[in-house]
Amino acid sequence: MNLSCIIVEDLQVAANYLIKCCEKSNLVEVKGHFTNVPDALLFVNENTVDLIFLDVEMPGPNGFELLDQMAFLPKIILTTSKKEYAYDAFEYRVTDFLKKPFTYERFLESLRKVQAAPNTPAPVAETTAAAETEASDHIYIKSDGKLIRLSNDSILFIESMGDYVKFVTADKKYITHNTIKNLEDKVSKQHFLKVHRSYIVNLHKIDDMRENCLFISGAEIPVSKAFRPIVISRLNIL
Amino acid sequence: MNRPFPDNTFIFHESVNAAYIIDLYSADYIMIEETFADVVNEYPSLMEGIEAAWLSGDVPALKRAVHKIKPLFGFVGLTSIQAQCLHFENACETTPSLPSLTSEFTLLKNTLIQTRSIIEKEKERLALFNSR
Repeated sequence: MNLSCIIVEDLQVAANYLIKCCEKSNLVEVKGHFTNVPDALLFVNENTVDLIFLDVEMPGPNGFELLDQMAFLPKIILTTSKKEYAYDAFEYRVTDFLKKPFTYERFLESLRKVQAAPNTPAPVAETTAAAETEASDHIYIKSDGKLIRLSNDSILFIESMGDYVKFVTADKKYITHNTIKNLEDKVSKQHFLKVHRSYIVNLHKIDDMRENCLFISGAEIPVSKAFRPIVISRLNIL
Repeated sequence: MNRPFPDNTFIFHESVNAAYIIDLYSADYIMIEETFADVVNEYPSLMEGIEAAWLSGDVPALKRAVHKIKPLFGFVGLTSIQAQCLHFENACETTPSLPSLTSEFTLLKNTLIQTRSIIEKEKERLALFNSR
């Protein structure tokens, strides 16, 4: 037994089948099975695992929203085969897809891919950059062939545009080659919070918040169900 | 004397894709039996989800409910039922009004009810086979 895993899957039959495959292989220890993202998140906030077998479509937040909120990123095997998730899977560096139902041989092949895949490097450089960002009141972005200084206070929100992101300030928009996932660790956590897979907002600029969205200077920004409790916990609610 | 398993082989019901299921489980009949039992246990709640979605008149919810039960049939080798579910999901996409789905839904529902009975009987037969 050299890998620990959890299974996030709302279909009990599929989860039981995966558990049996893990037991049969003697290569993976199942630390837990969760039928929804909030329960899985509670577990991974307290425990570390090497691998997650992750379904995408589940009641409530989907599988990618779990990954968005995790403090560490283990290897991921998606237990879905829907092609529309291919882009997200690439962005989240998913190790493999398993189409349900899969053979035991196919399961073993996935494990071999996990064992062969390099570990996610410790984000030393990014951590340093993040620490520096915390101490700084501004960031630099590359846009239009130059480095542009943006103060944290001037940024209203950051929006994903595929391989690019848009920094929105009160008077201008800057498009730069980057991803929300990458920026999440680099921007000041005192100022900014990810509220959706495609949005990071400046907490100091939120005008009002409703059930599934918030407003900043007239712009409506979606808030994922999974992120809503975090957003609320960061607002200065009397 | 009538022998239930001649030549010590398990003959699946004709609607079960036997070659597919043997390949899926590498002929591990204990695992096959356990999975059939899991499917029998989960079937009623998923059927209730389909029925509730139909009664609510919510076509996207109906599509999701059928999409959710679909993988179960893969686990028990009922690949033709999987295909029928997929066909119905596609019909929900292209014919998003409930009345126009009535005949197709009735057909699917009847199939799913009959299929449940087949899975339950196969599970019993597998238990008998494994207990020899």
